[in-house]
Amino acid sequence: MLHVTINGRPHEVAPGQSILAALRSTADTVPTLCDDPRLAPIGNCRLCLVEIEGQPHPVAACTTLLSDGAKILTHTPQLEKLRRTQLRLLALHYPADALASVPQSDFHRLLQVYGLENDLAGQARPELVDDSHPCIHVDMARCIHCMRCVRICNEVAGRFVWRAWNRGDRTEIRPAGGVILRDSDCVSCGACVDTCPSNALQDKTVSPPVAASREIRTVCSYCGTGCELHVGTRDNRLVSARPVLDAPVNKGHLCVKGRYGWDFVHAPDRVTQPMIRTGDDWKVVTWNDAAEFVGQRLRQIIDGHGPDAVGILGSARATNEENYLAQKFARVVVGSNNVDCCARVCHAPTAAGMKLMLGTGAATNSFDDIELARTIMVCGANPTENHPIVGDRIKQAALRGAELIVIDPRRIDLAEHARLHLQLRPGTNVPLLNAMAHTIVTEGLFDAAVVPEHIEGWDEFQHFIADRSPERAADICGVDAEAIRQAARIYATRRPAMCFHGLGVTEHIQGTEGVMCLVNLALLTGNIGRPGAGINPLRGQNNVQGAAHMGCDPGLLTGSAPVGEHRPRFEAAWKSPIPSRPGLNLMQMMDAARHGAFKALWAIGYDIALTNPNAADTLEALRSLDLLVVQDLFLNETARLAATVFLPACSSFEKDGTFMNSERRVQRVRKAIEPMGESLNDWEIVVRIAQVMGEGDRFSYRCAEDIWNEIREVWPAGAGITYRRLDIAGLQWPCPTEDHPGTSVLHTGIFSGDNRVRLRQVEFSPTPERTSDEFPLLLVTGRALYQFNAGTMSNRSRTALLQPVDVLRISPADAERFGIEDGQPVRVRSRYGEITVGARLSHDVRTGDLYATFQSPEVFVNRITSRNRDHYVQTPEYKVTAVRIEPIESL
Amino acid sequence: MTYAHDRSDVESFYSLAGVDLSKVHCQGTACFVARHRNSSRWREAASQSPPVYCLGKCYAAPATSEDQSRPRIEVRSRVPVVLERIVKGGAPTLDAYLRGGGLAGLHAALTRKPGEIIDELEASELKGRGGAGFSTGAKWRVAARQESPEKHVVANLDEGDPGAYIDRFIAEDDPYCLIEGMVIAARAVGAARGWIYARCEYPQAIQSLTRAIEAARAGELLGPRIAGTDFSFDIELIVGRGSYECGEETALLNSIEGQRPVARARPPYVAEQGLWSMPTVVNNAETLANVPWILRHGAEEYRSLGIPGSRGTKVVSLNSLFRRPGLYEVEFGVPLREIVEDLGGGLRSGTLRGLLVGGPLAGIVPPDLLGTLFGFDELRAIGASVGHGGLIAFDENTSIAEVVRHVFAFGAYESCGNCTPCRLGAPRIEAIFASIVAGQSGTHLQEIEWRDITAALKLASLCGLGVGLAEFAESVDRHYAQELRPCFT
Repeated sequence: MLHVTINGRPHEVAPGQSILAALRSTADTVPTLCDDPRLAPIGNCRLCLVEIEGQPHPVAACTTLLSDGAKILTHTPQLEKLRRTQLRLLALHYPADALASVPQSDFHRLLQVYGLENDLAGQARPELVDDSHPCIHVDMARCIHCMRCVRICNEVAGRFVWRAWNRGDRTEIRPAGGVILRDSDCVSCGACVDTCPSNALQDKTVSPPVAASREIRTVCSYCGTGCELHVGTRDNRLVSARPVLDAPVNKGHLCVKGRYGWDFVHAPDRVTQPMIRTGDDWKVVTWNDAAEFVGQRLRQIIDGHGPDAVGILGSARATNEENYLAQKFARVVVGSNNVDCCARVCHAPTAAGMKLMLGTGAATNSFDDIELARTIMVCGANPTENHPIVGDRIKQAALRGAELIVIDPRRIDLAEHARLHLQLRPGTNVPLLNAMAHTIVTEGLFDAAVVPEHIEGWDEFQHFIADRSPERAADICGVDAEAIRQAARIYATRRPAMCFHGLGVTEHIQGTEGVMCLVNLALLTGNIGRPGAGINPLRGQNNVQGAAHMGCDPGLLTGSAPVGEHRPRFEAAWKSPIPSRPGLNLMQMMDAARHGAFKALWAIGYDIALTNPNAADTLEALRSLDLLVVQDLFLNETARLAATVFLPACSSFEKDGTFMNSERRVQRVRKAIEPMGESLNDWEIVVRIAQVMGEGDRFSYRCAEDIWNEIREVWPAGAGITYRRLDIAGLQWPCPTEDHPGTSVLHTGIFSGDNRVRLRQVEFSPTPERTSDEFPLLLVTGRALYQFNAGTMSNRSRTALLQPVDVLRISPADAERFGIEDGQPVRVRSRYGEITVGARLSHDVRTGDLYATFQSPEVFVNRITSRNRDHYVQTPEYKVTAVRIEPIESL
Repeated sequence: MTYAHDRSDVESFYSLAGVDLSKVHCQGTACFVARHRNSSRWREAASQSPPVYCLGKCYAAPATSEDQSRPRIEVRSRVPVVLERIVKGGAPTLDAYLRGGGLAGLHAALTRKPGEIIDELEASELKGRGGAGFSTGAKWRVAARQESPEKHVVANLDEGDPGAYIDRFIAEDDPYCLIEGMVIAARAVGAARGWIYARCEYPQAIQSLTRAIEAARAGELLGPRIAGTDFSFDIELIVGRGSYECGEETALLNSIEGQRPVARARPPYVAEQGLWSMPTVVNNAETLANVPWILRHGAEEYRSLGIPGSRGTKVVSLNSLFRRPGLYEVEFGVPLREIVEDLGGGLRSGTLRGLLVGGPLAGIVPPDLLGTLFGFDELRAIGASVGHGGLIAFDENTSIAEVVRHVFAFGAYESCGNCTPCRLGAPRIEAIFASIVAGQSGTHLQEIEWRDITAALKLASLCGLGVGLAEFAESVDRHYAQELRPCFT
């Protein structure tokens, strides 16, 4: 510790920090405008000057390292005069009317402290106003040139949009290219607005702008990154969202969805009363009537067709507590293991493949390992759009010198920063990853401490991999063999190497096998069980990891415990028998419904109709049901097309509970506003129906924490995670006891003692979905920055203004070949159906490939996706559909 | 469309990028104080867009780029150090350089360990000739001490200080001396890459350096295996695009990196973290031109020139209001009066009102202080500095208010804009004095502003530009109170 004297008082402070950081720790704050703890200091506002005894001139506290024995003065008359002089210079250029703008900014506060409100003499400058962006208002007449917007766009967001032009007092901050913000490379993360100290940049979240009267810390409702945000509210409405500075995952950063994508909560089509369908009409009913109706119909169907004619879908957007109750309801009240969640259509192959090979079906490492990794391999994922906080951290790591390997059919943003981009043909992950394993084995690049000592069946694997060379894979994958070899060499030798993968790996008929191939690579190279390494699925929705982990899986109980093995333990805890019959997964439920054996489905927060593949099959299945209960915020496509009952749930901003992110971190979700209208927490709805069905005793909870405490009893690895601990910070399981710190890296002992792991010999069985003369192109579907899954949230928020409807991305070469112009509507036909969608020329897609999002009901992309499913867990093959396209002259 | 790699924002910082400089007029300080000597030319210079501040032809001010005359060049020290070859017409080829005693310093250096070269430099007490007057040996020692796979040596030939033109003639007439100094520096600190940052306002200097670097590579003075040793070093020439601030070492490094050339906060010092955060020696061109001589003749002989605290010689540049303008190599310790009266021959006409020593961003010396010795400490004691060694005399044609307005207009135009006092304070003072020059009397509030802003420039600026403006303003306050007082009522 350093011994310093600040304003005459002695202090002990930690070494290695700036004077400014030390002053903050001792509460001797000095004014500053250019400092932001997220950014490297540049010391340009010159307000944090302090005097140090023995030094001839004041020094900037932000850029000067604290030294032992320093005697520091922070508020001498000289320093205060210097601050006032400089603030006055700024005030002379700041428009007086801007003082009334909200929120009150740091600069406004300093003007008041130094009594300069009457010195404001800046002029309004219409030419410096840019109102083009739907979320961000720009008025650079209010700019004080702290460069924080420029710096945060570079150092955190990695977009390089804001630039300083000209010099001296002619310096202007404008987007790169000199264009308006809407036409720039801006990804609308709002980091610049968040850091701006003078309201030159303002959120356009609510109109007219109002200041929040209260802020609540909670977790974002979108992807599985698990960003924490401060939600601002006023009069029981959300008015703002800001990143939490000390959040472990996002560290003061948010993406467009977290920051601007929350007003769906107040969307005009939000349904807040229960409804029962009569013919084509919906009739509003009371909660009692709705619960009675659902309970009675479920009872009738169970009595008439048996419990396995009923199924429940938990929700990746509901809390752990709510998903736990959904699966408990299925097993205890219905008496069936027919329970699933949307993990089925995304990362079920990851969970299965990793559980099989490593024993745990979840990310082995943490996002904080990104900064430790020397190599990062991103496979079948587009993090800067779909997990932007993770993507931005990866990009910054690459800019700082980490090797980046991208394996993806599209030239995604990260590929621009990658050492290697293996732009493979869709559906050829397995041969490519096998060829990397071949290179590692034949060139002896494996970890000598692992191979062969800790490998079971090394000789067989060597033999298997011997003829799977990059040269053979090159033709299949459409990737240069030498590039595959280089990727293997970098991954194996620039360790630790961290792998992230997404649905580009899993949504294939070889999804589980693709994951196994990734695990093979990590095991061979010793990139498991150590910091900065591992196999890390990027989970798609905020609580998809939690939904499945809580037991919304036909074969697994809470804590990913196989039903067969763990049934007795749960029967004891729940004081109820649990069926031993294996349950149906979502895809099997749909099949069984079409065949008439499956009669009732309760879908919680899940738009099956819009998102399941091959919509014709899906609709046939849904329409065959006797009872379809949709529990959601909106009358989604499933409800509109086929539901019997609609139960209005509330959003995560209206409830307490927990979410579990991609890196196994359980975090507290906190209620920011009271539920809209009559909407209820999902868990309250489950409890009501359990009560109607006579199981109220087993579903007796006062609050989410009661449910959580029951979860802790049945899930040993989560037993140490209490709400009290979560109120301080999230915890990563395993966390078996209340004094356990949680686990950031799994499998640390995997290569110790005489432990041996088995590599999988994955044969490549290509998808039957092939191109032909009739269907010459391959369509890949997925998300995009502004389009989150079914669009339930993103299409009803301010984000919708950024990209309101699905588009078909097509390479310029194919566009020319098929006579299609940018923006032109095209007809897309597959073997399964036909859609009409607008084309967008894109250099990101390979010639021969197409890419589309799937959120717009009016486009309904899943009308044309195939019936193919993963060999192991039946995840649909969304990533490969052979199609033909033709331009439509006019609509 | 992506704009990630579009750097037109950075280019917009520079005022002369893509500007044809073959027919421009200069409005540097020397030209300003000589504006009465050719008022039509001055009017063109003052209305020219973009303005050009200093073409390095202060001896012919008000100057134009078409003027190809050479200045008077004389050695007035006991022995020539910097002007040794220049005074004899220069060394345009490597052969001529060798005949003129070139490379003897390098050969002496190559027989010694790097640490011994630095010892020699420190013993010589050579101080930087670019403004700050920091010990060159000490700077090298810091860079040499850093552990880094790569280090850099940068020659600062961005001689933007109006009034000084010695670096221009080193580059034009004795470029191999500069290169030799850099090679010795690289050898001493362990650098493999060198950079010369030269201003675009010196087109002949750029031609000369380009030729010299090529010839030096051919002659094994640059490149792999220099002079048959295993030591390798090469130099890249970077041409400025119109920015005084780029003469500031951290801005200069940002410019080489392709970044916006604004001043960086220090610490870290560039000898520790400079170009791309690697240890970097940045020396002014004249400083480097002293280095071969020191290695060739030894520190003892060098130290015998000059006075304690200011060793060796300095080339001073005299402006066109002197009777004999030109470059004079003098030993430190000579009284200013001797430079003004004996070398310069006094003013061509009129009476001396003041002497801007070391460029406009430094103190003015009033006529009654001409007894001051030309030395680092001696000038600092009266609020002035050696700076670049430019001496701009001005006469009764220029009032103090006009000088203040001119200097602050220059400072405001060239400010990088990174820190508040310089970005907003300099234009503020320019505006106050513009109205005073126009005949309006300054207010009491403006007088307070003048002092407050001066204090902020002095104590809060990020780099020497703001501090220099403050030192200039302080010297006006100190030495010209009688003239200043009537400016404010």
